[in-house]
Amino acid sequence: MKRVSLFTICFLIFIASWVFLKYVVGGLISVPIPNSVIAMYMALILIAILVHVSVEDTRFEEFIRPIHETLVDEKRSTRRVVLAVLIPILMLGYTYTNIAQKANPAGDPRVAHPVPPSEFILTHKDKEIGTMQEVENPYRHYEKDDPEEFKSHVENGRNVYYDNCFVCHGDHLDGKGHFAHGFQPLPANFQDPGIIPNFQESFFFWRISKGGPGLPNAGTPWNSAMPVWEEILTEEEIWDVILFLSHYTGYSYRSFGEGH
Amino acid sequence: MRTTFFVLFILMFSLFVVTLTSYTQEAPEVSERGKEVYEESCAHCHGIEGRGDGSAAENLLPRPRDFTGGVYKIRSTESGELPTDQDLFDIITNGMPGSSMPEWESALSADDRWELVAYIKTFYSGFQELKESETLPRLINLTGKVKYSQESVEIGKVLYTELGCIECHGNVGRGDGTSAPTLVDSWDYRTWPANLSQGWNYRGGSTTEDIFKRFIGGIAGSPMPAFEGDTFYHFGLTPEESKRAVELENKEEITPEDEAEYAKYSEKMENAIDAALDRAEGTELTPEAQKIYDDAMKVVYEKSWHLANYVKSLSPEKRPEYAIGNNVLRSQYKEGDLPTFDDAEWETLESSYYPLVGQVIVEPRQFNPTIDSVNVKSFYNDTEVAFLFTWDDRTNNTSVEETENFGQSFIDGLAIQFPVKVPKGPTDEKPYFLWGGRKPVYLWQWMASEPETIKELTAKGMSNAGLQEDQGNVQAESEYKEGQYRLWVKRALKTEDKKDLQIEPAVFVPIAFSAWDGANGDIDTKRAITSWYTFVLEPVPSSRRFIYPPLVALLSLGLLVGLRQFVQRKNT
Amino acid sequence: MKIRVFASFMVLLACCFGLIVLADNHEEENNMLVFPEAYTPMKVNGGGKITGLVKFEGEVPEMKKLDINKDKVVCGKEPKFDESVVVGENKELKNTIVYLMDIVKGKDFDAESKKPEIDQEGCKFTPHVQIVPVGARLTMLNNAPITHNVHILLNDADMGQDINKSQNRMLKKLRIKGIAKAGGPVEVKCDIHSWMKAYIAYVPHPYFAVTNEKGEFTLENVPPGTYKLGFWHEVCGTNNKEPQTVTVAAGGEVKQDFTLKLPE
Repeated sequence: MKRVSLFTICFLIFIASWVFLKYVVGGLISVPIPNSVIAMYMALILIAILVHVSVEDTRFEEFIRPIHETLVDEKRSTRRVVLAVLIPILMLGYTYTNIAQKANPAGDPRVAHPVPPSEFILTHKDKEIGTMQEVENPYRHYEKDDPEEFKSHVENGRNVYYDNCFVCHGDHLDGKGHFAHGFQPLPANFQDPGIIPNFQESFFFWRISKGGPGLPNAGTPWNSAMPVWEEILTEEEIWDVILFLSHYTGYSYRSFGEGH
Repeated sequence: MRTTFFVLFILMFSLFVVTLTSYTQEAPEVSERGKEVYEESCAHCHGIEGRGDGSAAENLLPRPRDFTGGVYKIRSTESGELPTDQDLFDIITNGMPGSSMPEWESALSADDRWELVAYIKTFYSGFQELKESETLPRLINLTGKVKYSQESVEIGKVLYTELGCIECHGNVGRGDGTSAPTLVDSWDYRTWPANLSQGWNYRGGSTTEDIFKRFIGGIAGSPMPAFEGDTFYHFGLTPEESKRAVELENKEEITPEDEAEYAKYSEKMENAIDAALDRAEGTELTPEAQKIYDDAMKVVYEKSWHLANYVKSLSPEKRPEYAIGNNVLRSQYKEGDLPTFDDAEWETLESSYYPLVGQVIVEPRQFNPTIDSVNVKSFYNDTEVAFLFTWDDRTNNTSVEETENFGQSFIDGLAIQFPVKVPKGPTDEKPYFLWGGRKPVYLWQWMASEPETIKELTAKGMSNAGLQEDQGNVQAESEYKEGQYRLWVKRALKTEDKKDLQIEPAVFVPIAFSAWDGANGDIDTKRAITSWYTFVLEPVPSSRRFIYPPLVALLSLGLLVGLRQFVQRKNT
Repeated sequence: MKIRVFASFMVLLACCFGLIVLADNHEEENNMLVFPEAYTPMKVNGGGKITGLVKFEGEVPEMKKLDINKDKVVCGKEPKFDESVVVGENKELKNTIVYLMDIVKGKDFDAESKKPEIDQEGCKFTPHVQIVPVGARLTMLNNAPITHNVHILLNDADMGQDINKSQNRMLKKLRIKGIAKAGGPVEVKCDIHSWMKAYIAYVPHPYFAVTNEKGEFTLENVPPGTYKLGFWHEVCGTNNKEPQTVTVAAGGEVKQDFTLKLPE
């Protein structure tokens, strides 16, 4: 049986490494790896292969023989011609696509939730309510004290939601309202387990009352289409709609003292 | 032997029953669960008692359905019939595109949706009566579908005019017919005829079957009539007989033979109409009458399929891709003069599609925008850039007017918004997308009252916009035709005015739109909007792309040859 | 003492509730005709006659000119006016239905009334109020090359699904299916020409009349007896709450006039 040449083995290892990095690691396991990182790894792998074959003279000769044969051996003339045509064509195609490629706009930076400044004073219009860390939903205590009263606040929150919010945030609070497609970034999805349980009610109050224009300068651009609701809704209406969000989705807001 | 036969028979029979029942599913018995789901997910629009008067209803047009009258728009049943359970289930599942009714497939399980169907039916006693009478609503006959072809589309097009579809839907179907501005639904709310060129907004879906069903069965509660058999000319005659009858009708001198021949056709038509009416009134037809009816309807169905094929041809198969990501508007470089308003060269470009939504952020708000989108094309040369904006609007409103039933109508308009300074890179903040904020925006405002003028504005918010002192940098030309505005705009890439945007090739520039449909009460903040999108003067593809690649190819060949030479020389 | 206060409070509450219920019913009944539970046609010999005049009282509202915004060549030949209140020179009120509410036996419909027609000439429904016998087919006429749609709002009167049929420019006649249930009057409109509006009453017996330009009506061949005489007018309403009682003698003639005014 014919032995596979050392060159072929090296070549196959090289290709396999590339496929592994690009598609297995980059595609299946994590997010796609940038091309520059792949290039760096490939350079390392190439050096490793070269070091391996050049450690012993015999091994190096074995490695170099197929190249040598292809270049000069009379019996290998077909292979030579094929390579002489193929390599320049590949190079031609590669440089052409690189040069003619259209420039694409940079994607917007990843959407994360804004962090409010520490010791942030919560306000509604100009009225101070307290610091973000301390303010609680003034109607939350009814949940235990007076379920009927609590229910009426939730129902009021429901009306506020469907009079104002559902066009973007959706009938089902899933961020799929019939206007949602008009906005970048997309409206928040309250059914996402990463939203309500991660924030305090006071944080929601801040985001609702101040909207997109009220976001901190740090970490811009937000490009949020969230209106400044304090111009339309009263303080009570905002707290009620916050109650409704957790009532409908079944998620609880993060409470004070829980680790961040 | 007999037993085997019997068992086989039972098997066949049960198979038959199973196929029948699985064909169109029926709603389960009413349960507490249905009520619960309804009150949690539907009542905020449709009301606790199903009267279509939930708290959100006021803001919505079309209004949420009032279930108490048993009036349903989207049915697979004939005119005057109630919908099937499957119809109701499908609407809940798929929602009604172009309205505020969302799809519930992703939010509710199929079981819950079936429970809802059962519960919704309790709001109207007619469903119970139908059940007790042990009859089923008559389904629209979908057999005999005519395959889509250019030929069929052409026949359909003639019918479209003949049957009067243009009165509301307009010449090419953009919903701009002369009756469009005065239509009301059965609850006296304003309603607009469908823009047939936007299939993605058809409330009941846009397959040819969907169109056929809406046409034959009508859209109950709306002005859309049912095109039942006898609303077709010469109902009861075959195409050949109809042709002959037309000849006779137009003949100047009529002989007694002609008269006798025509009387024959008249009788045939009378019989067909009688059969159709008997059937509609619920009288059981004799086999002869049934045959007459079936024959007559065969002609009607065929025509209706042609019409459905024509309507299907008016809209693209899918909603266009939004102009986001890599699909941005790319202005194409052109040497020499840029194409003028009427230039056929515009046809060589693909449009970029910008979907509009209601402005619901600043009072007064617009919850029910009527303009679906703005479509844009652009060319530039070394000194100027030209844009062609097109958008559909059912009415051409050039002045403020008092309408009969809908209050004031205002002037149509479009505003194109850019930042004054292009943000440097993705982390640099853009101005607030709604006419600026801390950072200013630069606006081109066009109004239908002055179709050849673009006003330049600078704004730092909706309530803080002002005309620039230096006007007249932008040329414009526009036209309203068949339910569509076309606006052509041209400006120099660079201007002297510091408050203007300066445009450079290969730089990605944020762009946004506002549109006003005066007939829909749009004025000032009441309008349709987009958030920020991007456009770019696409750099001229470098001529290097024809020089470098061959050079590289030659070089690599040279290297190969050189290597061989080197090795050969070393060997010898 | 406390009990008395409470009791009077409860009585007051009950009264309020009762008023609300009454007011509700009032509204429901106001605009519909009243029919006998059953009606048996028979041969009437030596019946009497009821005639009369309907007059309008109060300031006559000006007839609003209609905005003819399409098909002007055919529809806008002459100016058109809103026909909801048509009052003559001497305050005679046209288009009022006068009828017997409680007749259970009497003549049958004649052949002509079994073939009711509404003409759409000039893009206007004529007559403005049409009586259609239960089960009879209404014929819509259209002599101009104009497309209409015949939209009968049955659902508003709880009479089933609306009828909405297209009548394209080539159809000189369009027949509308008969309705088995008495009811109405219901509105008929044409969505294509938004100003076109008329009323159809589906009735179980022939003792219905619509007043003419002179405000006159005649009910003929009424079997002798005492009846409740009702009226209906599109704007002025009905007398369902206090119907007029008339007694008809064999071969005799009874005169009964009405005076209607705008609702407050």
